[in-house]
Amino acid sequence: MAKLHIDALNKSYGETKVLVDVDLAIEDGEFLVLVGPSGCGKSTLLRMIAGLDAPTSGDIYIAERKVNALAPAERRIAMVFQSYALYPHMDVLKNMTFGLKFTGVPAAERERRVAEAARMLRLEPLLKRYPRDLSGGQRQRVAIGRAIVREPDVFLFDEPLSNLDAALRVSTRVEIARLHRLLKATMVYVTHDQIEAMTLADRIVVMNQGRIEQVGKPLDLYYEPANLFVAGFIGSPAMNFFTGRVERIEGGEALVTGPCIGSVAVPAATFSPGDDLTLGVRPEHLGQGAGAFSTSGMVELVERLGEASFAHVRRADDRLMVAEIRGRDTPAPGESVTLSAPAQDIHVFDARGRRLAATPVNSA
Amino acid sequence: MAEPMSQVVASMPRGRFLALMALFLGPSVAVYTLFSIYPLIATMALATYTTDSAGAYAFVGLANFVTLLADSVWSKPFWNAAWNNLIFFAVHMAVQNPIGIALAGLLSLPGIRFKSLYRTAIFLPTMLSVVIVGFSWNLILSPLWGVAEGALKSVGLGGWFAPWLGLPSTALATLALISVWQFVGIPMMLIYAALLNIPDELVDAARVDGLGNFRIFWHIKLPLVLPTIGLVSVLTFVGNFNAFDLIYSVKGALAGPNFASDILGTFFYRTFFGYQLQLGNPTMGAAVATVMFFIILVGVCFYLFVIQRRMRRYAF
Repeated sequence: MAKLHIDALNKSYGETKVLVDVDLAIEDGEFLVLVGPSGCGKSTLLRMIAGLDAPTSGDIYIAERKVNALAPAERRIAMVFQSYALYPHMDVLKNMTFGLKFTGVPAAERERRVAEAARMLRLEPLLKRYPRDLSGGQRQRVAIGRAIVREPDVFLFDEPLSNLDAALRVSTRVEIARLHRLLKATMVYVTHDQIEAMTLADRIVVMNQGRIEQVGKPLDLYYEPANLFVAGFIGSPAMNFFTGRVERIEGGEALVTGPCIGSVAVPAATFSPGDDLTLGVRPEHLGQGAGAFSTSGMVELVERLGEASFAHVRRADDRLMVAEIRGRDTPAPGESVTLSAPAQDIHVFDARGRRLAATPVNSA
Repeated sequence: MAEPMSQVVASMPRGRFLALMALFLGPSVAVYTLFSIYPLIATMALATYTTDSAGAYAFVGLANFVTLLADSVWSKPFWNAAWNNLIFFAVHMAVQNPIGIALAGLLSLPGIRFKSLYRTAIFLPTMLSVVIVGFSWNLILSPLWGVAEGALKSVGLGGWFAPWLGLPSTALATLALISVWQFVGIPMMLIYAALLNIPDELVDAARVDGLGNFRIFWHIKLPLVLPTIGLVSVLTFVGNFNAFDLIYSVKGALAGPNFASDILGTFFYRTFFGYQLQLGNPTMGAAVATVMFFIILVGVCFYLFVIQRRMRRYAF
């Protein structure tokens, strides 16, 4: 169990910058999830922590120890791969003990660790089976078991659930959360699935184009996204964005006008009349009827999920917005609707996409 | 197990089904029969005849085989050639295939520069004509004007030089090594292709488990390409027991000195076509060819039924 510290990490392949000045501190026992669209550098970052790729510049510390020059096995890490990466020619037992043999763990100790991991993951009946005879979920449990027996300081997971079907993904996700509570280990977990990120993480790191966009607790990211990218990435369906311009400021409120929003008063912050702004409203905050913020359009499509329905509404600027509607009373396609949101649920971003902090938010 | 059958096939009249079978399978069966099965059976049949001085054929059953294996005039050169052929094969298995595997392992390492240059250079001799290779090595190793002696002298090893192709003790091994030099690219390419099939994540997992490049190769990659190594071995076996051209182009059909480099291919050639004072004997030649066929058949069956069944191909 250990802290992990990353200092000004850069990685480039020729002209292509994959990671740009990444700084990150991960607490002892923390479950940190790296999330972002494909190509954002999250897997590269994980591979550099593992020692499978070398950074172009910058330092990595595990348990206060600089590990840049250390081989993967010397870093006291264990990694779980997307494709499980089990050795196909070894049975489950051998898969789990194979690495230990080369790191000088005595046989009795190996047996103890495997027995413990097998009990924890319910692998006992599978120990003599070969990977080809296991289901996807069982293989992933073996891969996790192989990581546990190493008793590492840091667990690294590289999209471990993306090869599983939907039902298994949920149960394995719960399993990983349970293991984290049980082992109290430091874990770094890469995924592109925001549900995995939200459910598993103590803190989430949102990455985009090789940079960290925001680090924070799941609900903080949801309610206080630092910028447009995070606002649009976290939450499904994504946040609706509306462009507007500050008309005038009076009495601590700014009047913003835009093509789809008429005019709306938002709390004044560090901007002045004439500034371009982006207003963001989550689908769940858009309701039918009147409110501080109001917009209208024609319903194109309604997705009924049961607990809620998503109405896709064509706006005046010809883009689509999504509103979450609860209950059985959903608008029909072709119908014109007026949607509104309370003032405290409006996110305000400046022209460069940064969140304007003065906006009060409903994070309770 | 019930054969899955489409509804269309199941409801088809039997005659129509057979006609379709003939249409799809007929051409390849015809070509294969004409050029492979017929010559093979004809050769075996010819081996059961003998000719008199007038050229008339007479059926003698298995008498030719008895002569070949028991009459010392025939059996001594036959067993000499068979034994030499086994040595020829053993040198390939001991030298060509391990080197091919090692080269493939090196080429598959990450971060090797000039990879494709090495690959091409090592594979190049395979594309040369055996006759040219044989002729070149004959010149290189010649004690009169070959460059081998001078090259060894220049590094202070002149005393090691011997006319290897001319000594009965070394001629066969030297020829085998020339063949190894020419064909080492084939096992290298086949095994390299198999190694490329191993997923990167598996190698990453082994690195996280603390294995270095050599151990990854030995414990992970090699066991996973064993089926390909088996295939390479059986190809080597078939190729070696059918070999003829290199010996013929370097040493002629007499496979000297004193038959030291005689293998089944050259022995067959002298028997069937005749050479210098020896008269050609098609029926005995057919008997030799039949025996060669059965040697290869036994070897391939051993591979198919004993070795290949115990090996498992891994799907990644």
